[in-house]
Amino acid sequence: MANPHEQSHAEPSLPLSGFRALDLSGPMGVYCGKLMADMGADVIKVEPPGGDPMREIGPFIDSRPGPDRSLYWLHFNTNKRGVTLDISTAEGAAALRGLALASDVLLETGPPGYMEMLGLGYESLAVESSGLVYASITPFGQTGPYRDYKASDLVGFAMGGYMYVTGWPHTPPTKLWGSQAYHTASNRAYIAILLALYHRMATGEGQYIDVSMQEAVAATTEHVNTTYNYTGEPAVRCGFRHGGQFVATWKCKDGYASITTNTRAAWDDLRAWMDRDGMAGDLMDEQYNDHFVLRGEHSAHIEKLVQAWAMLHTRQEITEFGQSNHHPWGPAATADEILTNEQLWGRGYLTTVESQDGRPMVCAGDPYRLSEFPQPVRRTAPAPGEHNAEVLSGILGLSPEEIARLSI
Amino acid sequence: MNADTEQNGLALRGTRVLDFTWIHAGPSATRILSDQGAEVIKVESNNALSVIGGPASATARGLGQRHNWNAGKLSISLNMKTPQGIDIAKRLAAVSDVVAENFSGRVMPSWGLDYESIRAINPSVIMLSMSGFGRTGPWKDRVSYGQTLQAWSGFTQLTGFPDADPSGPASAYSDAVGGMAGAQAVMLALIHRARTGRGQWLDVSQFESLSSLLETLTLDMSVNGASAVSTRTGNRAAHGGGAPHGAYRCKGDDRWAAISVFTDEEWRAFATAIGNPDWASDARFASAESRESNVDALDALVESWTMQHSAEDVMGLLQAAGVAAGVVQTGADLSRDPQLKQREFFRRVPDHQGEYRTIESAPYKLSRTPGSVTRGAPAFAADMTYVLRELLGMTDDEVEDCAIAGAFD
Repeated sequence: MANPHEQSHAEPSLPLSGFRALDLSGPMGVYCGKLMADMGADVIKVEPPGGDPMREIGPFIDSRPGPDRSLYWLHFNTNKRGVTLDISTAEGAAALRGLALASDVLLETGPPGYMEMLGLGYESLAVESSGLVYASITPFGQTGPYRDYKASDLVGFAMGGYMYVTGWPHTPPTKLWGSQAYHTASNRAYIAILLALYHRMATGEGQYIDVSMQEAVAATTEHVNTTYNYTGEPAVRCGFRHGGQFVATWKCKDGYASITTNTRAAWDDLRAWMDRDGMAGDLMDEQYNDHFVLRGEHSAHIEKLVQAWAMLHTRQEITEFGQSNHHPWGPAATADEILTNEQLWGRGYLTTVESQDGRPMVCAGDPYRLSEFPQPVRRTAPAPGEHNAEVLSGILGLSPEEIARLSI
Repeated sequence: MNADTEQNGLALRGTRVLDFTWIHAGPSATRILSDQGAEVIKVESNNALSVIGGPASATARGLGQRHNWNAGKLSISLNMKTPQGIDIAKRLAAVSDVVAENFSGRVMPSWGLDYESIRAINPSVIMLSMSGFGRTGPWKDRVSYGQTLQAWSGFTQLTGFPDADPSGPASAYSDAVGGMAGAQAVMLALIHRARTGRGQWLDVSQFESLSSLLETLTLDMSVNGASAVSTRTGNRAAHGGGAPHGAYRCKGDDRWAAISVFTDEEWRAFATAIGNPDWASDARFASAESRESNVDALDALVESWTMQHSAEDVMGLLQAAGVAAGVVQTGADLSRDPQLKQREFFRRVPDHQGEYRTIESAPYKLSRTPGSVTRGAPAFAADMTYVLRELLGMTDDEVEDCAIAGAFD
């Protein structure tokens, strides 16, 4: 039984060592499960017999699909154990109940009411395990007129208000690269789970957590809500000009570079450099002295001048000049530049593990460093049913025959 | 100092946070803690840069962000250029559970408030240091803003349509992500401290927090070659497979609906919902695979349907058929959204002058510790009396001496 109260004197090797979490989530919650596993929780990924549908999500090793070839699966399920269970059968549901009662956290992303239908809802489990922290992530939450609405990452991003403002005035509203609405829901769910675990350590009480992806996105948009709520005007798409402010990215000689003129000094250094290149136009005039001028009435005029000038320089020139003067300027990196980034390697964020056939795979690390803990030891993502025997006999005491019948 | 919580609906009651953070990422991290009852004391200064979320907000939007990221906190003013200001900060650090900051690496040490120094006066302290690139490594002294990090991590170059300039995220995703990572790190450290009694130093690199959302990018390139990760794919599904999948123009001025269809079952439901036009039974769209390979033709036909309807109707019609669809909502839409309204996502809370301000609430509901926000951001230096007199027990004479020395300027 994973019970931190009983283990309070044991030395945790990672922040969440000693906690056990059942992960029934799909793409909306799989990153949350990963965060728990990477920080030491015993996360048991529950897959349907035959393997989780996420194993069919690419990219794949050598671009060839296969249940153990999905890099998506491998990335999001490192450090987890895996069992296969058909929880839609009475016997499978009973086994899941048993596992849940031996766990501290249950994480699921089914439609509202689905777990209740299987007899595995929070109320039902809490009767027997009042300390259980039960987190449900859904597109719109467990209540409200849209509770039964369906959503993908794209729809969550749109309904949360981030999509309308992303992109250029002449392009459609644009989603962020990747599945960021899903990950934002996961990030928020993880915070809520940690709060609930902390509360439980003090009181013994578990609780139910209702996470809405739409709200998670809406709370991550920075300026969308404050702009409308405080000015009455909705924020609009500005490409990489960030509202035409002093924060902007420009096309340069060999790509794009971010040039933020957040201080008077940065703005003065920029226009002085433009002047040295003979490209400042009238920008040295006193009327442009305020570095907030970029969002004022002259913004179009200034943009034109800065853009024409930026084409004279490379990303590296702009970065080096900015950084040597303590301005937050930097290049827009391409994907292959991430793979070789000296800071990510220098801090041990990127590491190499061996693939099953002995090739080096570059793995991303965790979002923070805790001085009490070194980088987590990595366990590769489980094969379908890899830990059936270990988990079902170890935690539930089932016989090999029972395990075979349950998890086909 | 008290790590215990009571059954009071607040997981962090009794936890004190001395908060030196500014701008966006840091304050949004400590706002998460404040919502759950932590006493967050925001240290401000009139000498600091006046940026959004800072002591004085130049714009209406900046005022909104100050309230959004600082709701429920206390504010004191300290001039850290005076020895008295530094002394008060140290006394506060000694009675706090968490000290949070997001300055460049040289600032806290210059005040004698680096982790080792604070630990000397408060052995179980948790220190949260948030920075662009982390406090170690070859780039530790580089400076960044949210958008710099989005550029450097690849998000700028990868977000957008292939035939247009990249757009990157419209707002500071990097700061929001950094804020979430900061709050997670503090919670992990509080859990660890409750079990062992030990504090620790949390080194949050926003560059890494953002990079950790690059999914399979490095895995893919290392296994399948650097060319495996193509460039921008606009609104296509992140891992392929969806068609239609994107934002489709609707009736009205700049109105859009997001629609995503993956499986054949969803496709049939979609076709039925839009009235089974002839093109929906076209052989080019018969399977998920063929829909994906004819996606440009499909997108144009889908848009010929969406253009006849309002975005709200597109969402309603498709959702009734079980198809994932939603309005591409503007800030105005969000403020009227019936779902957000029923779930009370936006809250109206009074500021120090009693004026009501709109803020976002936490995007999760905890059944036993729902948390609460009862007031907006503090007015600048609004809580000097409580902090100096009640918390530190300073006498009138002490406070006066400090004031004369300029410690509160």
